[in-house]
Amino acid sequence: MADIAYKGASCIYENADTLAVDTLDLDIEDGEFIVLVGPSGSGKSTALRMLAGLEDIDEGTIEIGGKDMVGVPSKDRDIAMVFQNYALYPNKTVGENMGFALKMRGVGVEERKKKVADAAKLLDLTDYLDRKPGKLSGGQRQRVAMGRAIVREPQVFCMDEPLSNLDAKLRVQTRTQIAALQRRLGTTTVYVTHDQVEAMTMGDRVAVLKNGKLQQFSAPTELYDRPTNAFVAGFIGSPAMNLMTMPIVSDGVRLGNSTLALERDQLSALHAAGLETVTVGVRPEQLELSTGDGGIEVIVDLVEELGSESYVHTHIAGDGTQLTARSLTRTPARLADTVSLHKRDGAVHLFHPETGERIGD
Amino acid sequence: MTTIAEKPTADGTADRVRQLREAKDDSVSRAEGWRRRGPLLPALIFMIVVTQIPFLFTLYYSTQSWNLVRPGSQAFVGLQNYVDVFQDSQFREVAVNTVILIVGTVIISVVLGLLLALLLDRAFLGRGIVRTLLITPFLVTPVAGALLWKTTMFDPVFGIVNFVLSPFGVGQVDWVSKFPLASVMVNLVWQWTPFMMLLILAGLQSMPRDILEAARVDGAKPFAMFRELTLPHLRRFIELGAVLGAIYLINTFDAIYMMTQGGPGTASANLPFYIYQRAFLGFDIGQAAAMGVIVVIATIVVATLALRLIFKSFTGNEEAA
Amino acid sequence: MSTDTAAAPVESTPTAPETKRARKHRKFSPWSVVAWIVALGFFFPVAWMVLTAFKQEGDAYTTPPKLFFTPTLDQFKAVLDSGIGTALLNSAFATAMSTILVLVLGVPAAFALSLRPVRKTKDALFFFISTKMLPIVAAIIPLYVIVNDIGLLDNIWALIILYTAMNVPIAVWMMRSFFLEVPGELLEAASMDGASLWTSVREVILPLVSPGIAATALICVIFSWNEFFFAVNLTAVQAQTIPVFLVGFITGEGLYWARLSAAATLAALPVILAGWVAQNKLVRGLSFGAIK
Repeated sequence: MADIAYKGASCIYENADTLAVDTLDLDIEDGEFIVLVGPSGSGKSTALRMLAGLEDIDEGTIEIGGKDMVGVPSKDRDIAMVFQNYALYPNKTVGENMGFALKMRGVGVEERKKKVADAAKLLDLTDYLDRKPGKLSGGQRQRVAMGRAIVREPQVFCMDEPLSNLDAKLRVQTRTQIAALQRRLGTTTVYVTHDQVEAMTMGDRVAVLKNGKLQQFSAPTELYDRPTNAFVAGFIGSPAMNLMTMPIVSDGVRLGNSTLALERDQLSALHAAGLETVTVGVRPEQLELSTGDGGIEVIVDLVEELGSESYVHTHIAGDGTQLTARSLTRTPARLADTVSLHKRDGAVHLFHPETGERIGD
Repeated sequence: MTTIAEKPTADGTADRVRQLREAKDDSVSRAEGWRRRGPLLPALIFMIVVTQIPFLFTLYYSTQSWNLVRPGSQAFVGLQNYVDVFQDSQFREVAVNTVILIVGTVIISVVLGLLLALLLDRAFLGRGIVRTLLITPFLVTPVAGALLWKTTMFDPVFGIVNFVLSPFGVGQVDWVSKFPLASVMVNLVWQWTPFMMLLILAGLQSMPRDILEAARVDGAKPFAMFRELTLPHLRRFIELGAVLGAIYLINTFDAIYMMTQGGPGTASANLPFYIYQRAFLGFDIGQAAAMGVIVVIATIVVATLALRLIFKSFTGNEEAA
Repeated sequence: MSTDTAAAPVESTPTAPETKRARKHRKFSPWSVVAWIVALGFFFPVAWMVLTAFKQEGDAYTTPPKLFFTPTLDQFKAVLDSGIGTALLNSAFATAMSTILVLVLGVPAAFALSLRPVRKTKDALFFFISTKMLPIVAAIIPLYVIVNDIGLLDNIWALIILYTAMNVPIAVWMMRSFFLEVPGELLEAASMDGASLWTSVREVILPLVSPGIAATALICVIFSWNEFFFAVNLTAVQAQTIPVFLVGFITGEGLYWARLSAAATLAALPVILAGWVAQNKLVRGLSFGAIK
């Protein structure tokens, strides 16, 4: 168990003049489950590997339990890692795989067996202890990789997209198992994924990264309700938030043939910033189809029926801006219909049209 | 909650990266460098000593007029040996033989190898056995193989070749005497076709099947698919086989020694055999050395091709860090 | 000729799962018959050699060639009696020792050139392969002089050293290609589990590449055993290897074909068997690891 601190940590790419991770600052408390999320190339895996000692810390430091890890090799950091492709030793049995780290530490055979058996019971692997990885299914191999990490009782768990090779159903199942396991064991965990659903459901706090730079580091709900910039706003939430840059008018923002009203403090913030256009963010569930007046006139492009809800993809008549709205009724509209979208109660998000920074509260 | 907004990155990043990288490279310790080089050194040193030193000596000898039969006659003659060699008509004939041998063998065995590889590319009953049978000529000790061909196959009276060809009106031809170079080539083709076949077969099997399926769906006929898809893919394998084969074939010695001893005269001698004769039967060290150097220079051309092929088209993978 | 195949790859390495359609075996298609005929044709000289080895001398030297006869082991006995024993021992010793040396030198070198890359990796690789490409005939004269001067003429150790030098480049390139197949993540996992480099090599890497080491060894055996040029020039009676013995046998025996065939069979058999065993990895050795 330990707390982790990234202090201005950077890492350069091998063959390019760019930074894979750029001055990352993260304070992770003991026992927290942190998720690093972002698109490909965002540096999330590199940041994880820097923690594990598999990539050099080229600038700044990373501290585990207060101790500086610069120059400390992986084997001395007491970190267990679950790899994306599991990295199981093919010539060893499941039991030997799980007990390998203990063997390296000089733990006796009997004690090793006991610890491995305990972890196997936790992960439902007891029947497979004598099999080799080649004879296991993907899901079983994933559990062995987890078991190998658990047996070590390390200070920190590092997990690098451990679910990405599983099929969708298994992924959801395993996701809950991992979260439950972590809660039970209480070990500080850093988890990397590109799937924002995993991030939202598993993490105590989530760090969103883009191009090596940290965008926001907060609890999932905070990310959802108050994204600090347009990138985070568009990344978190599925289907994505509707983001469009529109001209400001006297009491709001012009959208197609109508005006989207804004709060008073939002308007004053915009005025203070001296902006003429602004990037507006509206989540699909904030838009509803209705027949009343004053809505935004849109033409339906596609209706996606999921059973529990439907998503209507439209574009603003005349200007082509795309808007997606959520509806809880079946067959909310038909293709090429002209419908009217109204904003439900609640503020929209505003972002600076150039920097993407959040404006207002 | 920590947030950082997106600032536009100027060229400042590139400089910063460069600085970081320099600092990093400096700090990778010397000790680590030698630790990594360590396992490599024994092999490297061994090879340098055993292969380069003799060649340097050959260069030195080639500038000497030195015949073992006349001891004490060793004297520096500069490039005289090379001049003599180039003026030696037998040398020229032998050089031509060598080229014919190599080019002919390579071409024929590549073609045969290609056909065999195509036959073996599909599964059929006993394919494993067929492949095992086909690679055997390459494994047979070349001396034994040459002996085999000279006696049981090519013998004018009792040889199998004449026996098989007799229904076609071929009499008791003494192949080895009448067609020495061709006989040697038959032996070599027999020996090297499996080599070509294995390389090309590996090429065929490394070809992704789905593009063939896509072509079939698109309505391509089998021969067109072969010409447009398979052959281009195979090209680098064929090239590698031809160039590697040529390099190995330059050293052909066993077959000639065993089958014809280079004869009649030097009709079937190749450069290695001729040099061997000069050195060990004629005892003319200086000239033999000069010929050796010439062969090396000529080989370098072909070898450069081979190396480029091996490095460029095949070693695309990077070393694990 | 159709190249759309229903083939399962011959190599034992696993490939993508075949669709059901691809599993159709055309067992008796005309092309497979052609393949069989051609294979038998290529193999025929070898088969004939082995056959003739069991004949009485009179049966060997007939026209038309005889297919049916009463077999005898006399020829083999005669060959064994005429001193092939020393040559066999010499060949076996030279082959075994040089192969061991090749592995001792080559495997660490390959490791250094793949998993822990050295700065001049490409240069070192280039050097190794270039030594294979220069004609050995150019070096034979000084080699003879040097070997003579250090008193190793007609000594098996001269051959051992030369065979090692002959095979190290192949071994380095071949083993390198096997090392490169080890997933990098495995080494990382071992390192995270607390294993030092040497322990990772011993516990994780070597077991994975051991088939590769075996294949490399077999290929070294094939090339060492069959080598003739160095052997004939640098040995005489004591250090004679099998190919040299065979040549001597011929000049001595002249037209005794059955006996010659027996000698040739004994000479070629070990390597043929080695090659059959290693055939899956043969391509890799022949192409310096470029082709799998």
